[in-house]
Amino acid sequence: MSDVIKLNKLPERVILPLKQHDGIACAPLVKKGDEVHLGQKLGDCKGSELAYIHSPYCGNVVAVEARPAPGGKSVLSVVLEPVECTEAPEFVPEKEAPPSRLMEIIEAAGIVEYYEKPTYKILKPGPLIDTLILNATFPLITRAYLPFLDKVLEGFQLMLEAGGISKGVIVLRADDKESIQAFKKASLNGKPLPVAPIIGKRHADYYFEDTDSDLIALVAGKKTYTPTMMNLLSADVMGRSLPLGYKPEDVHLSICGVKSAKAVYDAIKEGKPYLENAVTITGAVNNPKSLFVRFGTPVKDVIEACGGYRGEPGKLIINGSMGGVAVYTDEVPIVKNTTGIVVQAKEEVLRDEAMPCIHCARCVDACPVNLLPGRIAVMADCGMYEKCGEYYALSCIECGECAAVCPAKRHLVQLIRYSKLQLQKMNEAKNAEVIE
Amino acid sequence: MTQFTISPPPHRRSKISVKSLMYGRIAALLIVGAASLLLFGTPALINILAAILGAVGTELVIQLAFKQKLTISDGNALYLGLLLALICPPTLPAWMAFVGGAFAIGVGKHAFGGIGSYMFHPSLTAWVFLNLAWAQNMLPESIPITSEFSDLLYETGAGFLTDVSPILIILTGLILIATKFIEWRIPLSYFLTTVILALFLGEDPSYIMQGTFLLGVFFIATETATTPVTKNGRLVYGILCGVLTVTYGYFAGNYLWGTLYALLLSNVVAPYIEVKTLPTPLGGVLNE
Repeated sequence: MSDVIKLNKLPERVILPLKQHDGIACAPLVKKGDEVHLGQKLGDCKGSELAYIHSPYCGNVVAVEARPAPGGKSVLSVVLEPVECTEAPEFVPEKEAPPSRLMEIIEAAGIVEYYEKPTYKILKPGPLIDTLILNATFPLITRAYLPFLDKVLEGFQLMLEAGGISKGVIVLRADDKESIQAFKKASLNGKPLPVAPIIGKRHADYYFEDTDSDLIALVAGKKTYTPTMMNLLSADVMGRSLPLGYKPEDVHLSICGVKSAKAVYDAIKEGKPYLENAVTITGAVNNPKSLFVRFGTPVKDVIEACGGYRGEPGKLIINGSMGGVAVYTDEVPIVKNTTGIVVQAKEEVLRDEAMPCIHCARCVDACPVNLLPGRIAVMADCGMYEKCGEYYALSCIECGECAAVCPAKRHLVQLIRYSKLQLQKMNEAKNAEVIE
Repeated sequence: MTQFTISPPPHRRSKISVKSLMYGRIAALLIVGAASLLLFGTPALINILAAILGAVGTELVIQLAFKQKLTISDGNALYLGLLLALICPPTLPAWMAFVGGAFAIGVGKHAFGGIGSYMFHPSLTAWVFLNLAWAQNMLPESIPITSEFSDLLYETGAGFLTDVSPILIILTGLILIATKFIEWRIPLSYFLTTVILALFLGEDPSYIMQGTFLLGVFFIATETATTPVTKNGRLVYGILCGVLTVTYGYFAGNYLWGTLYALLLSNVVAPYIEVKTLPTPLGGVLNE
């Protein structure tokens, strides 16, 4: 736990993409040659979903241009040449802020969830929210935040207060013993935090009644709920399963991350905008660990802080080896939704050749949402997209389990994704006809 | 500048491949085959080799002739040939075993489109072909009756090669299930259905607990390409195999033929079972 250190060494260049959330890109507020200070707002957005970009460094703007972003595409970015801050930055928290003001602070701080939604948006999405779920099923990330557990819990409570949400659930992974222990020791307004397992039909509502507490921690299965698995999370934790096309907010749930809870605390209690995150570096580096990294720091510098590559690197994966994006350069920056970096050595990189399907049904057994991935993939390969729809291709959460277990090494996720894309296009075309 | 590979996720996959699945099954069948050599000696060995040679050779010829990628090293042809030899009597002339192996691959597998595409188990197809073409030679010298435990261990009245040691098939089958080379649903539902139904009809279990039936349970019925992929479909498929096995066995009085014909017939029904047991996705479907 104590090895979670802050990366303070100044990188050569800092790259801040102006789009770090799921919405419209921000417009730059600075131009080449400008001097910026810590916490200064660099990007302003318009629209219904906004996440402002603030500068995590002091420095000079060297360029405002398109640079490779961790999503795999190039995004308009502010490039800084960082310097040591000459004067200590002043962040003044607001005292005794009412709930409506809390929301504005969260919005102004530019806090973004791990699934790229701005946090203020998920606290009041429109439909009434009765329970906020804190997804702490990323073991390495959760562990990095354990030293600040009281701040995370307080941030979580502030989020509940800001959104006017009555109940909160923290979800932990069953095999993450270290975090479970820490949460068991944690206290909440003087009382211990109830920690309970999910058994059979005993979902969160059972424990809310049982413990008489509005905030509980639940130990779920051995599963990490990635951004595409929100509906599964709501079904597993709350027992509220959702039909295709519905979002958790339709059954009065919202989901947030550990990182945003800490960021909300920082914004409200310390007046700081969203400037840094814990990032976990695993795989072929000399000293794998978790680090607090300021946004905009290139991956290259983060890996250097972990002792550099071990052997010759073959693949650089942002956000997990199951669903993450392999990037082509280590110049991409850490952004708001970056949780982890996996480095694979040259010899670890998969080089499989796809074979015909032998119908072994391993994908069927692995699928967490009861689909027949092999069948959908075969039909997507033949261009039979309507048929894919009949096999519920659109319900796929793209977790990658099917492709990982496939003995024939077929590209199941890509084929299903492709069929989903085609189905969406077909639906749009159909809707357009109706309007005409 | 360092070069990074880019590829779509997942970036981590299980080590298991079609090849390792096939060789796992082959290893299990080799143990069963070795037991048959103890009882039948050289003729059994020659038949096994002839069937394998016929199977692998045919695959080689077909893939060379049609300029396809050579896949004989994936073990599928080897496995099918070996399996065919095990469900034939040792008295079968070696050249017939060779023709049987060639038929299994040429007609049973490649005419249907190769690995994963056949709808009938190729070894069963070849077994039916041999039965129709040379019925006299396919008759076993005796029909095994495992009335004592020692018979399960070493059955001297064995008809087919596989009947020599039923217990070995159970053991290797269970190991394959434990190591997840074989999925448990079909063997479990098939075995239970057969035993319960047979006991209900007053059949003597010693007629049923034979190598051929157990080979059917663990190896033939679980041939992945000829079974439904849905979870419930696999259970239904096992039940169907069991019902048909007992039907054939009860009325024909012979569970060797009963098992093999029942499995062939079940293969026909498998696609129907699959489309009738499609699972609904988690959370259900909208507007339906």
